[in-house]
Amino acid sequence: MGTDRAATVEVRARGLGKTFDSDGRRTEVLAGVDFEIEAGEFVSLLGPSGCGKSTLLRLIGGLIMPDAGEITVAGQAPQVGRRSKRFGLVPQTPALLPWRTVRQNLTLLPRLNRGRGDAPRGDAARKAIDVDRLLDSVGLADFAHALPAELSGGMQQRVSLARAFALRPPILLMDEPFAALDEITRSHMRFLLLDLWVDTNATVVFVTHSIEEAVLLSDRVMVLTNRPGHISADVTIDLPRPRRHGIEDDDGFHRHTAALRAALNGATATPIS
Amino acid sequence: MTGPAENSLGSTGPAASPRSSPERKRQRRLSSTVAPVFGLVLLFGGWEVYVRLSGVSPLTLPPPTRIIRHLVAEPSFYVRNGWVTLSEALIGFFMALLTALGLAIVMAHWRFAERAMVPVIVLVQSTPIAVLAPVFLLWFGFSATPKILVAALFAFVPFVSNALGGMKSIDRHTLEVLRSVDARWWEILWHLRLPHALPALFAAARVCVGLALVGAVIGELYGGSTRGLGYQARIAQSRSLVDQLWGSVLALALIGIVLTLLVMTLERRVLKWHTSQAPI
Repeated sequence: MGTDRAATVEVRARGLGKTFDSDGRRTEVLAGVDFEIEAGEFVSLLGPSGCGKSTLLRLIGGLIMPDAGEITVAGQAPQVGRRSKRFGLVPQTPALLPWRTVRQNLTLLPRLNRGRGDAPRGDAARKAIDVDRLLDSVGLADFAHALPAELSGGMQQRVSLARAFALRPPILLMDEPFAALDEITRSHMRFLLLDLWVDTNATVVFVTHSIEEAVLLSDRVMVLTNRPGHISADVTIDLPRPRRHGIEDDDGFHRHTAALRAALNGATATPIS
Repeated sequence: MTGPAENSLGSTGPAASPRSSPERKRQRRLSSTVAPVFGLVLLFGGWEVYVRLSGVSPLTLPPPTRIIRHLVAEPSFYVRNGWVTLSEALIGFFMALLTALGLAIVMAHWRFAERAMVPVIVLVQSTPIAVLAPVFLLWFGFSATPKILVAALFAFVPFVSNALGGMKSIDRHTLEVLRSVDARWWEILWHLRLPHALPALFAAARVCVGLALVGAVIGELYGGSTRGLGYQARIAQSRSLVDQLWGSVLALALIGIVLTLLVMTLERRVLKWHTSQAPI
């Protein structure tokens, strides 16, 4: 329920543009991207493959630099946010370290880059309890000492999710984290994500190419259109929370997916309500 | 004649009903120990039979049993000289490993260094290193140094190319996760690049122990030594001591096998997480 949260802007982009240069061929991936994301909001970036969604996510996370315009996170450059560990990144693949156990994968990121930035540092004991509780809440308490290779793809992605939450980041950046999973696992993962998120005040930027996923999860969906990528529609999803299994069959859900489908097809976006 | 059904039930042939897990495990262990031994038995057995049947002079090619008898009769000679060659090879091996690791770390982080060093590495690779042995002899004289250097040069290229390849082929998404918390370059090196390069480094090490041994022997063959198996082989050849020549060869082969087995054992322990160690 994004409206309940304090309406402070967490991420702001103005005239954002990014061009990639490879072998003399210039590809303008993003141009003139403007948006604001409020603290605590769950926002999805929806668009077809290659429209620049992932690039936009990387710009927010300060992993790449823009060529035009500016982007701020909590009023500062994203690189400052990176240094103070404001971001929890969940990429498309689990991206776990195969030589570390599940538990060791979760405890690594908080140990890196210590003593820099201004992130509050909890004491070690509190962190240790968190990891085990997190593993429990993603249903992997029995696999704490297993190696990633011993887990299924869905379990690995749950570890990846838990790893991001273990940082207690103010902002979660998710790049199609469930795209590679089967339909049943994917559905479970979406509700698991909502359960984990509800206990935090985190802002979520969620990249997806699934209309249903965007509607199910988000407070707001920004539709990206290529090329170059820009935000062509901004749709508020006012479905009540908590959202539970079966919500996909509601009329309200269908109205939102229809509106997004229309927006994706280039029709004028008409925000609902 | 009893019914065929009764027979096949009791048999353990390949067509037998689904194997139980311990049975399978036993078979795997059997094939992993018996098969390599079988290969060696075939080689030496064939050699022995050939020498005995063809009537070739033992001065040209002594049978393996004769070489082994000679080895067993002179243990201290081979242990003493084997130790000399082994230590030269090992020092060269670790020199190559450390130099290659240091260089690969610099190259993995600094594009300029990579571009500058690649031609140098190709140069080392294309140089017949054996030819450098007399040069080193000239420079360093009658010491262990020229042998160690030849051994190190033999092992250097596989180490550096595998270390660099392993450190650079890291997963893009994993790197981004580490960068998303602004991990320092040495943290990425320690937690991602080096462990990721370990399988390639072990693959190189398996080859390089043998190469370093060859390098040390070549260094000894070129002279400038008074000890070592390579030196003794050279002396034996010039004095027509066939048993000593073949004894040195066999002792070197044994050292090579033991070193390779050591590397493989260490690899199995260190790389438990890696797919190369998964049971088939």
